[in-house]
Amino acid sequence: MRPEAVELVAFAAVALVLALLVAQPAASRRSLLFRGVVGLAGTAAVVAVPTFDLALLVLLTIALLHAALEGKRTFAVRLRLPLLGVGLLTLGALFARVSGSEVVDRFAAVGLAAGLAALVGLLPYIHTFDSDEPASSSPVAWLAYIGPAAAAVIVADAQGLLTADAGAAFGASLVGVGILNMVWGSVAAWLTETTTAAWRYSFIADWGLALCGFGITLADGKRAALVVLFSIVLGRLPLYLASREAVRGKVVTERPINLLVAAALAGSAPFAGFSARVLLLRGATQLYWPLALVLAAGMLLWLPASLRLGRSMGVPRGRHALGVAAVLALNVAVGLYPLPLLAAAML
Amino acid sequence: MVEGAGAFLAWAGAALIVLSDGHRGLALGTFVAAAGIALVSFSTAGALASTVLGLGGLISGARRLTTGPPGWAIMPPGSTPRLVLCVAGGLVALWVGVAVMSGDDGGLRFAVIAVIGLAGARALASEDTPTVLTAVSVLALAVAAAVGLGAESPNIVPYVFAAAIAATSSWIPTRKPRAA
Repeated sequence: MRPEAVELVAFAAVALVLALLVAQPAASRRSLLFRGVVGLAGTAAVVAVPTFDLALLVLLTIALLHAALEGKRTFAVRLRLPLLGVGLLTLGALFARVSGSEVVDRFAAVGLAAGLAALVGLLPYIHTFDSDEPASSSPVAWLAYIGPAAAAVIVADAQGLLTADAGAAFGASLVGVGILNMVWGSVAAWLTETTTAAWRYSFIADWGLALCGFGITLADGKRAALVVLFSIVLGRLPLYLASREAVRGKVVTERPINLLVAAALAGSAPFAGFSARVLLLRGATQLYWPLALVLAAGMLLWLPASLRLGRSMGVPRGRHALGVAAVLALNVAVGLYPLPLLAAAML
Repeated sequence: MVEGAGAFLAWAGAALIVLSDGHRGLALGTFVAAAGIALVSFSTAGALASTVLGLGGLISGARRLTTGPPGWAIMPPGSTPRLVLCVAGGLVALWVGVAVMSGDDGGLRFAVIAVIGLAGARALASEDTPTVLTAVSVLALAVAAAVGLGAESPNIVPYVFAAAIAATSSWIPTRKPRAA
């Protein structure tokens, strides 16, 4: 088992506890617990199974179960992208395993990168989105709960399947898709009409950083990817869930807590997003310094969207406030001292 | 010879699923595709694993005979683009699987590429739940068949898992989306 993937499953378990803390009505909490435990078991199975093909079949099962949940989008629409992802990943693995010309290896690299993007729901394939859909049956479940551990498994297995040249092409594809998602996600989160859609795009922007980290095939890149995924699962996801009531009520507040949340979402010091960005820029500088310039410019785009999302949080009270405080404390702890997290993942 | 026949059947079954809108046509496509995938997997996966794949397809097809849109509805009016997709998809899969790639098991490579391509296209283009689930069941079988290309002596577990997905996916209760 990949230690970073195991760690991401553990993050998802903690995220489920935090989600239960900040979820609103009691009925919703019961449903969230049931769905969350099933999703967590599925994600753990993806990590635990010994082969890539079995992991793909487990992901297909999760996709079927997720598409069958009650929601506003049709079954076919919800199943579409995970199915495309599994298909592309299977073809990518097939191309990687057979002998042939150099172009076959390139197809394998592109197929695996495209499959990962489709499975999680990133550009150039993004799910249709309904603002009123429960988070557990919305695309956010793939973006922030199942996707991180699945991505860690897919990237690790893909690098084992590919030759050195194809591995470099895979890394370059991930960086390319990552930059696209960074820029598109952060600009869309800033300018899109509805606040719920802005939250969804902000997940996509964070995934852009994670893909760039995976694509920079140096230790710092992998470290950055892990910390970004931490900040998605144990930062952005619980904050998104905590903001849903205020977003529905169109409440906009500008208190210190909103600024703190905005800072955490923007990846400012001392939150986890900041150490992820530092690691990513260090890795990019070692690999190819102009890439670091592009990434640094892209990172500035987080600020306006994060201020918007921070204001949409409202003023958390009671259990909500406890949940938000726990999320911020966790992110500060990892931002100041990420070493235990990285050591546990053997990075 | 057996591998070639299996590869053709796998493509023909997937093409039937693309071309059919009725439950009988979809069921026939599932039977034919599953038989083809089982035949083409025989040399790499062994008798037991290929039987399991065939059984999964058989159960899925049998279930599809009892539910779904009525009739055969094979090639209803307006299905020329789907026919072109089946022929062109088959030719591309044949070119990639046999000419671009090299080595043994060309039939298996062709079958996997053709079935994933056609079933994936069907699932992406359809809004009808039984049709999508039919495409998912043959796609799961093709994902398992691809295991044979990677391992020298593949474990039976992926084949059993894929057959279970194919057999049970038709029973998944799906809800109508809630009105806004």
